[in-house]
Amino acid sequence: MDVIKRKKELVQEFSPMLEKSTKTSKVWIAFLVGVILVGLVAFVIQVVKGHIVTGMRDNVVWGIYIINFIFFVCLSYSGAFISGILHFFKTPWKNSVSRIVEIITVLSLIIGPIFILLCIGRLDRLYYLFLYPRIQSPITWDIIAIMTDLLGCFIYLYLTFIPDFAMLRDNSENAPKWRQKLYKTLAIKYYDTPTQRETLHKITRTMSVMVIALAIVAYSVLAWIFSLTLQPGWNSSIFAPYFIIAGLYSGVSVIIIAMYLIRKFYHLDHYIRKVHFMGAGVILLIISLLFGYFTFSEYFSRWFSHKIEDVKLLDTLFNRYFWNFIFANYIGVLVPVVILFFKKFRTIKSVTFAAVIAILGLYMNRYLIVVPTLESPYMPIQDTRPEYIQYTATWIEWALSFAGIAAFILFFILIMKLVPIIPMSGIIDHEREQKRKPHLSNNH
Amino acid sequence: MANKKTENGSENRRNFLRLGLMSSVSAVAGASLISNLATGEEKKASGEKVRVLTPDGKMVEVDAESINNYPEAVITPEESRKGIPDKKFVMVIDLSKCKNARKCVEGCQKAHKLDDHQEFMKVQLMQNNEEGSPYWLPKPCFHCDEPPCVTVCPTGATFKRDDGIVLIDNERCIGCKFCITSCPYSARTFNWGHKEKFDDKSQPYSPETQVPAAEGTVMKCDFCPDMLRQGKLPYCASSCPMGVIYFGDKNEDIVTNGTETVSFSQLIKDRGGYRHLEHLGTKPNVYYLPAVNRQFPVERGFDVDEEILDRYKDVPIVKEFKEQGKL
Amino acid sequence: MRTKIYTLIFVALAFLINTKSFAQEVNLKNYRVRFGLSTTKQADNSRKLEVSYIASNKKDRKDRVPIYGADINFYNVTEDKDILLGTAKTDKEGTAQLIVPAKQAYTANAEGYINLKAVFDGTDALDSEEDELAIKDVFLELNLKEIDSVKTVILNAYTLDSLQTKIPIDETEIVFSIGGMISNMPIKREFVSDGAFKFEFPEHISGDKNGNVDVFASIIDNDNYGNVIQKKNIDWGINKQITHETNKLWSEAAPIWMYVVLSILLIGVWANYAYSIKNLFDIKKEGKELELKSQNEN
Repeated sequence: MDVIKRKKELVQEFSPMLEKSTKTSKVWIAFLVGVILVGLVAFVIQVVKGHIVTGMRDNVVWGIYIINFIFFVCLSYSGAFISGILHFFKTPWKNSVSRIVEIITVLSLIIGPIFILLCIGRLDRLYYLFLYPRIQSPITWDIIAIMTDLLGCFIYLYLTFIPDFAMLRDNSENAPKWRQKLYKTLAIKYYDTPTQRETLHKITRTMSVMVIALAIVAYSVLAWIFSLTLQPGWNSSIFAPYFIIAGLYSGVSVIIIAMYLIRKFYHLDHYIRKVHFMGAGVILLIISLLFGYFTFSEYFSRWFSHKIEDVKLLDTLFNRYFWNFIFANYIGVLVPVVILFFKKFRTIKSVTFAAVIAILGLYMNRYLIVVPTLESPYMPIQDTRPEYIQYTATWIEWALSFAGIAAFILFFILIMKLVPIIPMSGIIDHEREQKRKPHLSNNH
Repeated sequence: MANKKTENGSENRRNFLRLGLMSSVSAVAGASLISNLATGEEKKASGEKVRVLTPDGKMVEVDAESINNYPEAVITPEESRKGIPDKKFVMVIDLSKCKNARKCVEGCQKAHKLDDHQEFMKVQLMQNNEEGSPYWLPKPCFHCDEPPCVTVCPTGATFKRDDGIVLIDNERCIGCKFCITSCPYSARTFNWGHKEKFDDKSQPYSPETQVPAAEGTVMKCDFCPDMLRQGKLPYCASSCPMGVIYFGDKNEDIVTNGTETVSFSQLIKDRGGYRHLEHLGTKPNVYYLPAVNRQFPVERGFDVDEEILDRYKDVPIVKEFKEQGKL
Repeated sequence: MRTKIYTLIFVALAFLINTKSFAQEVNLKNYRVRFGLSTTKQADNSRKLEVSYIASNKKDRKDRVPIYGADINFYNVTEDKDILLGTAKTDKEGTAQLIVPAKQAYTANAEGYINLKAVFDGTDALDSEEDELAIKDVFLELNLKEIDSVKTVILNAYTLDSLQTKIPIDETEIVFSIGGMISNMPIKREFVSDGAFKFEFPEHISGDKNGNVDVFASIIDNDNYGNVIQKKNIDWGINKQITHETNKLWSEAAPIWMYVVLSILLIGVWANYAYSIKNLFDIKKEGKELELKSQNEN
């Protein structure tokens, strides 16, 4: 009876988050919708006029679309990876962040592939990928990986939502009819009986392992799109692990930023506490060191063996892209490392700042992997048209990129209106555990 | 009525194919021997305008197709995947004879209805190092035996045929551009926007001619299989005034530039033939004869439009020439 | 003055716009017409008669215009009359071709020359044209034999006099070549005297996929004989079997291991999904039973 009462309490605690809409949040939503609409206009223009409206041309055939694609998809994979690990190893403070991670995972996996679609010249023939598949093509692998991963993440996310849906169903008598109905359907008659709970735990656990494995495969496949070609800047055997580390780097950073914003706007200081930031900060430190290490060995080996094509690429990077390179690979790594390395520097704000720098640096790092490589092919570019020699993204591309980010944030806000961002079932589980073994009591 | 017409069409096509494939039958082979000796005869390309005089004394310009003997002889995308039986095409480019006359580029552009800067055949100015001797490098698609572009295509829109030719079916292409990034020779181009000429459906589409092109799809040099089926040289080879480009069948070991017909293996052996960027392992089917004992000094190639010349501004020799005020 | 310019522009525009539908009257005085007959005796003993009919600008040598669609009559000229061999139209290159079958009997003159003539009758605009040619009918006998295991090409070339006696030809250049897809590859050029010549067939000739080679012997553009081509096919080529690779990265079907690995991965993952979903249904079922039970109790 105690549990039922506690459940009611929790629902009452979180329901304001689900139901109220403050003025700020309304303004925010309007702004995000506006950005998305601009993106839609840009999309229509691109569809009508063709890819000529982008900055991409015969040498740089992939621009910031593919960078956004890698960024979001890697974000998703790292989300899956982290969430799988949190679940599988029953990390003590996981409850407060696990739902944030799961939402990031699914949202970025929905938004990421939209950017690869923007790279495709004939969207009307997209179904040819299934009609005439060739399994030698890394693109085919990527499509299979993304679809499998998307479904897997959906199932996994849903599994973790079920107990909360059940609690919401049982305790939202005052909520509007559609909400009640929705919760009832989504809760699939879960009554938290011991057998139901056990079954759910069992499949959540297997799915968490599956999601980790899938993330590793999907990461590698994504990296292989680049590293299996002969291009000097891409043809590298460390690309797959490099992408995993880079993905985790962005993933942990986005989680930190999301934690910071959610904590601030929803006043969840009680659940998302300093200890979470410190823990995430230490993880980000480890990953940033690894990321720096991979970046260094990648460029170092190119510079040391100085094959002619590699030298040409490094020349481009250190001349035309000098400041971008410094920002991406020095500031983007060293600043987070310095902030996170010294314990006294670690505060909630500084950790968040380090995460922001890390994300910006990483995005630039991706830009430098994609664009300069395509600008320095084996055969020298001998052309008189400036747009064919050097890539500059047009407003269409930027508008669509920002629309992607806006969509990500908007969907995040909307999902938070559907279920509490802190899993209530997790709190119940935790308290149940505490009762059984009181000596283990620590934080959430 | 319409039915009858198509019947006739397929009949014509069969005849055409037979003619194309059995080109060594006496009539064609004999004729080509003679045309070898009768030099200077410009070959008219199908798909362009031809000016003729009618017996009643009128000068008329006619679409070459309208007096083409085989207008129905279009190889459909499905047929074009097979290739010409028992052939293995190979090109040899003699760098010692190239003077950047750009006739190969122009001939190719005309035949494939390409725009000004869209080139299947590019002539690049190469200088391997500061001291190295600069030379002109006509660069078509290399039709590799291990084509990375074909490997990465997710829909099989680009394919390698049994005769060694790598083609693109623009009705299958989804425009993902993966093939462009995987080609180490920058041989491929993309149709970024819509152009009026894409709507001209008077000539049925064939991957062997790549006409009409389509927006959002990839194109590249195709070795002109439509000409090969008629026992003729590709447009670049036949329009080169210097006889730089040799073309032929590797199986029969014969290549020709239109005036001279020689053994392929002997040519490669005698002249030190090589393939560009051999170390990449793509196994190109285009060979180069090194630029030794040149027929022209490299600066003969600077006699081109300012706009074309501007392409080569980063090559050391061009910088040098500009400093000396020779350009 | 001004009107003159306008007319000029108008004419120029009209020319630019209507090149296809409107014919343009040309001043043929600026053009010199070339009308030339040539003949080729082909390997099957048929004879090809060819007329090239082209107008070329007197001032601009590059400006050459073929005459298209002109009727050309071909004759065998004898002392008393011209025997019509056939008629052909010129094509877009200004060439009219007539293949006279091998069985055609020609009438030769006393010296053994066959007189051939091509005639264009002329129209209101174009003058009539004719060109004549006198050639001897030459026979090329091409034999390919292995003599003491040496592959040898043997050629005999002769004409026949009125009594059908063979008269060997003398001091005539003969080109030997190997048949190719686009053009034939010369392997030997020789001035033949006494009508006979033999040489060793070169090694390393590929031939087609079965190693069959077309060997040609030809006389080209000779004053006395015109063009003569003789051909023999023999399996002296050294071509190896053409192998086509399958299950490569670039072929239509992938290497087998790829199918195996992909199948294992996909089956493993999707089976797990199915298992999870099945368990969800179990949960639902249990919940339903629970609901029924509580309803019954109530």
